[in-house]
This record gives sequence, structure tokens and C-alpha cells, in this order.
Amino acid sequence: MSVDKAGASYEVLSPWAEADPKPLSGLSPRLADLAGKKIGLLCNNKRAATLILDVTERLLKERYPTCETSIFNSRSFSVSALEPDRKGEFEDWIKGVDAVVASVGD
Amino acid sequence: MYDAIFIEKHDTPTVTFVFEYFLNDSMSAASSRGMPVVRVVPEAIVSECTVVETIDNAITAVFDDMVAALTKPLTAEEKSPKPREPENPPRIVFKGDLEEVNRFFYQRGWTDGLPVIPPTEEAVADMLTGTDLPADHLVEKLEPRLGKVTVEMIAINAVMAGCLPTYMPVLITGVQALADNPACGMMAASTGSFSPFWLINGPVAKDLNVNSSYGATSPGNIANATIGRALGLITKNGRGVRRQIEDMGVFGNPGKYSWVAAENEENSPWEPLHVERGFKKEDSAVTLIFPQSFQQMMPFGTDDKGILATVVGNITPARMGSLALLLTPTHARTFADKGWTKQAIKDYIVENAIVPDDYFPRLGLKADKPFDRGNVTGPGYGPKIFHPDPRDREPVQVFVFGGFGSWMGFLQGIHPTITKQVELPKNWAQLVKKYKNVVPTYVRY
Repeated sequence: MSVDKAGASYEVLSPWAEADPKPLSGLSPRLADLAGKKIGLLCNNKRAATLILDVTERLLKERYPTCETSIFNSRSFSVSALEPDRKGEFEDWIKGVDAVVASVGD
Repeated sequence: MYDAIFIEKHDTPTVTFVFEYFLNDSMSAASSRGMPVVRVVPEAIVSECTVVETIDNAITAVFDDMVAALTKPLTAEEKSPKPREPENPPRIVFKGDLEEVNRFFYQRGWTDGLPVIPPTEEAVADMLTGTDLPADHLVEKLEPRLGKVTVEMIAINAVMAGCLPTYMPVLITGVQALADNPACGMMAASTGSFSPFWLINGPVAKDLNVNSSYGATSPGNIANATIGRALGLITKNGRGVRRQIEDMGVFGNPGKYSWVAAENEENSPWEPLHVERGFKKEDSAVTLIFPQSFQQMMPFGTDDKGILATVVGNITPARMGSLALLLTPTHARTFADKGWTKQAIKDYIVENAIVPDDYFPRLGLKADKPFDRGNVTGPGYGPKIFHPDPRDREPVQVFVFGGFGSWMGFLQGIHPTITKQVELPKNWAQLVKKYKNVVPTYVRY
């Protein structure tokens, strides 16, 4: 062990907090094609997010005229769509779409 | 990102547009929720962009990537991510001299860039004398990383920061405050560079010699300098929010080194903040807010009218969030002598901080929608800048600290205020006696 000019050396404890291993999840199977599908647009209400999804919706409908879209807006960018009083509404919305494009404005 | 992961877990393919500089941040968020492999599409749209043409071009450029993210078959790793052991270094993590310890910690990303005191077993044991709680007591798990912030972990980071053992109760309370509102994690990582500001009330402030007077938030006082520093290190090493990895503050904020004051209770004419917020005067408490900025003003006049005119005249849109008005004891006395309570001042500000009808048109902006980001003003919202709501019933706070003087200040862009009571150990009086005299003595010249 090294010592400094004053002859001091230190055995030091880790400041990095332990964390438990997390159960891992894989992604959902992808779609074969977006044609004829209902695409959810999830917006966290940041202003760039809204504009990004406006463009996305337009481009989706240009390329896939048979696809539909459905928008879900968080109340605020600082509030998850999963806030307790909207969780059911959010889950119902997810059940009603085939895939989701999310924009967080960041 | 958490919402996107929730959707994926509901058997629905999801893709998220992410600003190209935010990939690390989004991956840390996803990994913290057990989905280390997510599909994101990097785009070149800076946060908060409002330029439609820029957004149109940027999304058009990555539209095919977005389609592919929803249709391209999953890889084996995406279907079934390999278990990843969290990085849990050994308890004794390094041996070396002072310089080597500092270099090792710095290179691991565990410091704020300033030198640290080596957290040896002996130093940490000494720090733990500041609490009755056992070392392995879990205080909180802080999002996003969900690191276990135990009493020992707090003590280790407190040693590094240069704290005295008597600061442990305040640090434990500080961690509880950081966990009190999930938005604290978001504030720590935000592009807005929001910094925790800690206001300490009650007897503990005197016991710890937390400066409440001249230069309260300036360097030079061990309690003010190290309490915030330790909580900043805990944010890094427990919450897992590191600069430019998860903390995407654009400008950054010097308050993140340490931004601590005690309320100047003995010179305030009003009840202390913690009493106003439901605690007893003899209780000790820590209040946490997350301002993005600090502004000082010389009021138009030093009477109540002059001060209030300066307040409402200087609150303009685009500042985001709530406000803490900082009053010196001098100005607080001026108000009190004229019969003003803190509540009356808050009500006055909420009522009179407005955006005049011609404000946006005069700037060449068409005020046809509520485009001010934080404090929504515009059609349908009325001219008021502050809107009390169930999440933030009091968007204006009044803090009294600092020396005697005529300056006044704003802490701006705060989220709902959190106040937590400090629990002191049984042998508090002896501990205070041991450390109370650790104060600087300045040589006269």
C-alpha cells in the first residue's frame, strides 16, 4: 500500500450505494407492417413532443393511409401518464393500439 | 421513458424519439426499470424546440428508423436481455495514499471534482456516532438507480464531503426529503439544471452553527458547505445521477456543490418556516426546494410598497415553476411593522404578478396559445403567472435569511416545497457539546 509524504495510507470504503439486481424484461414482439394498424402517439406534453408527434402522425398517414392514430397526453411533462388517477385510462388506451410512438421532448 | 417501458411490458411494441445527446440518460432510465435494451430513435431536435421546420426536417430524416424500430424483428438480446449484475464494489474499495484515493474516486465518477476526505473505517465509524440508527438501516432507495441509501452509505459520503458527525440527522432527513417527491429525481436530471436548496429550521440550525446571517450561502462555513455537498454526493452515488450521463442540465448550477442556509429565525418577526408548515417551534426541520436560479435585486424603495413593487414587477414569464421570495431580516421587519404577514405577502404576489395584455404583442409574439413553459399564461389562463393547484397549493414561499441589508432575492423555478422533521439521537446534547466549538476564528489585520 502506498503512503504519502506524511506516511499516511488509507483503506477506504465504497461510497457507491449497493443496488439489487432487477428482474429483466425483453421487448414486445414487433409488428410485420404498420399498414392498417392503430398507432398510439404518447406525448409527455413538452412542447417539442407535441410538435414531433404532429409531424409523425402526418408522415404515418402519408406512408400508411390505412393506419389510424390515437394520442395520449400526459397532464404535464413532470407527471407520468401512470399517475394513479389515470393509470386505468392509460392501460385502456394501450389496449386499444397496436404499437406506440413516444416523444418526451428531450 | 418509464411510460414507454410500461407500454412494452403490456405487450405493445414501442419506440421513443430521443434527442441525440440524451441516449445515456434514456438508457439509464430504461435499465433502472429492468429493461436494459429499449428501442429509441435518436433525433436532432433540441429540448423544448418550437421551430416547426426544424422538427419536420429532423423527424422526416429518421422516420424510416422509427418504422424499423416498430417492425424489425427482435434480436435475441432484445427478446431476453442477459442478466446484468449491478455494480456493487467491495466494501473496502481501495487502498492508497491521499492523492491515490482522490484520483481513484474521481476517476470512478464518485466525487464532485473537489478533493475528498478518505472514508476510512475509522472515519465512518466516527461519523456514525451522529445517529442512533444502525449502519445497515435503509433510509431510502433513490430513483432512478434505486441505490440503497443506508445510514452507512450516508456516513461514507458525509466523510468524503467533510461533514461533522452532528450533521448526520440533517443528512438522513435530507435523503428522506429527496425521496419524498418522485419529481426530485427528474429535477436532479433536468436540462433546467435545478439545484437542491436546503433551508434548515429549528434548534438544530444553532446546534450545527448553520449560517443564517451575512453570506449565508457563501463559502466559509463548514455546515453550509458540507451538508449540501454530502447530499450532492449521495445524489451521484445513490440516486445515480451523474453530470452529462443522467444529469442533463444544460448550463449546470453552482448550487449543486452546496446550497444551504438556516432561516434567520432570531431576527425574523414572523413564525419560522417549519412552524408555518405544521411543525412545532422546538422541532428541527429541513426544507427542500429545487430552484434553477438565484436573482438579487435592489428594491425600488425600502418600504413595503417599494419592495412589493419590485417583486411583482420583476416576475416575468419564462422562468418556470414556483418562487421563493428571499427577504433579509430588515425587510421582514419592515413588512411586519406595516402589518404584513407572510401569507398576506404570498397572496399579494399571486394576485398581482401578472402578464400585461400587451406583454407578448410588444415583444412581437402572437399570444394565441399558452406558450410560456412553466407558468402558463395566455388565452384561457388569465394574466396571472402563478396558479395554485392541488400539486402546488403555495407557488410562492417567503424565506427570511441573510444579514441586515436592503437587497432582496428570488429563488426561481422551484417545484413543490418539501419540509421534513429532523430526528435527533438520544445523546444529542453531548454530541453538540463536542462539536459546537468547531468554528473559524479570523485573524484581524
